[in-house]
Amino acid sequence: MIAAPRVLWRTATVLELVDETPHARTLVLDVPDWPGHAAGQHVDVRLTAEDGYQAQRSYSVASAPEDPRVALTVERIDDGEVSPYLAGELEAGDTFEVRGPIGGHFTWRAADGGPLLLVAGGSGLVPLMAMLRHRMRVGSRADARLLLSARERDALLYRDELEQLAAAGDGLSITYTLTRAQPEGWTGYARRVDAPMLEAVGPAASVQPRVFVCGPTPFVESVADHLIALGHPAAAIHTERFGPTGG
Amino acid sequence: MSTADPDGLTLDGNAIAGMLAEVFNGAEMTGASRVCASCGQRHAIGEHRLYRGAGLVLRCPGCGDVGLLIVEGDGWREVRMWGAWSVRVPAPPA
Repeated sequence: MIAAPRVLWRTATVLELVDETPHARTLVLDVPDWPGHAAGQHVDVRLTAEDGYQAQRSYSVASAPEDPRVALTVERIDDGEVSPYLAGELEAGDTFEVRGPIGGHFTWRAADGGPLLLVAGGSGLVPLMAMLRHRMRVGSRADARLLLSARERDALLYRDELEQLAAAGDGLSITYTLTRAQPEGWTGYARRVDAPMLEAVGPAASVQPRVFVCGPTPFVESVADHLIALGHPAAAIHTERFGPTGG
Repeated sequence: MSTADPDGLTLDGNAIAGMLAEVFNGAEMTGASRVCASCGQRHAIGEHRLYRGAGLVLRCPGCGDVGLLIVEGDGWREVRMWGAWSVRVPAPPA
């Protein structure tokens, strides 16, 4: 068998921590010899306790491939084993092991072209954010639609940055739905993602958009079913499932 | 849906891309496709459903038939595969 490059563990150093919501934090990392990633890829994170016990998790990269610093956004799951540490106790200057980038199925490069339909449930936005940041950094004007579902306004990640991206007028439109609680004067959707909502957001199946759906498993399954019903071919729908987070 | 993954973070083939790369000597496997021996549908490995129990199982998103099983023991790892797998890898340098 031909020797292929192994996926190596590297020591990442925390450069900066950014609180995104009351439950999610972005870790900006320096990873020596980072080989570069494609938007949508993830890394495996490995924590080792003093007694040698190891725990490993997978997190999507939030930063654009053009950004030399690797950013992960971690949602804290209170009874979790890893996320309370990463999104809680971790401090700038701390180190942990990462390997990656990993995955090639759930990726988008500007050269792949559009139109793009991105559908996010909760923290499923993270890999899609890497795609939007990449799109902006390379000056792509590909028609891109983001449909973002969250429980409430405070649970929306990257709120200010998304507003800036949408205001750039370069072909990106963002639609929000808040499923549990809406602030006064809310003009976005206020229900779970359904077929009429997906149809209104577009692009229509007839123009063959590349579709990326990321979120909790029930969210992804439901959205994928609606997309199929609207005529999107299964092969054009890329999905990535998260556990009981987000929504 | 519950799994043995305490954080329950990811539940499809994308989630074990790192382990698949270990098993397949560094190859990127989530974009590989598999034709299910049971229902005949073709799906990317990244779209397959992940189940974690005593071993690690990927199931066809179309019909649920088992496509991959990884069992680990002391110092070994056994991989069983069903269906027709198609993997595209970079050519070795000339």
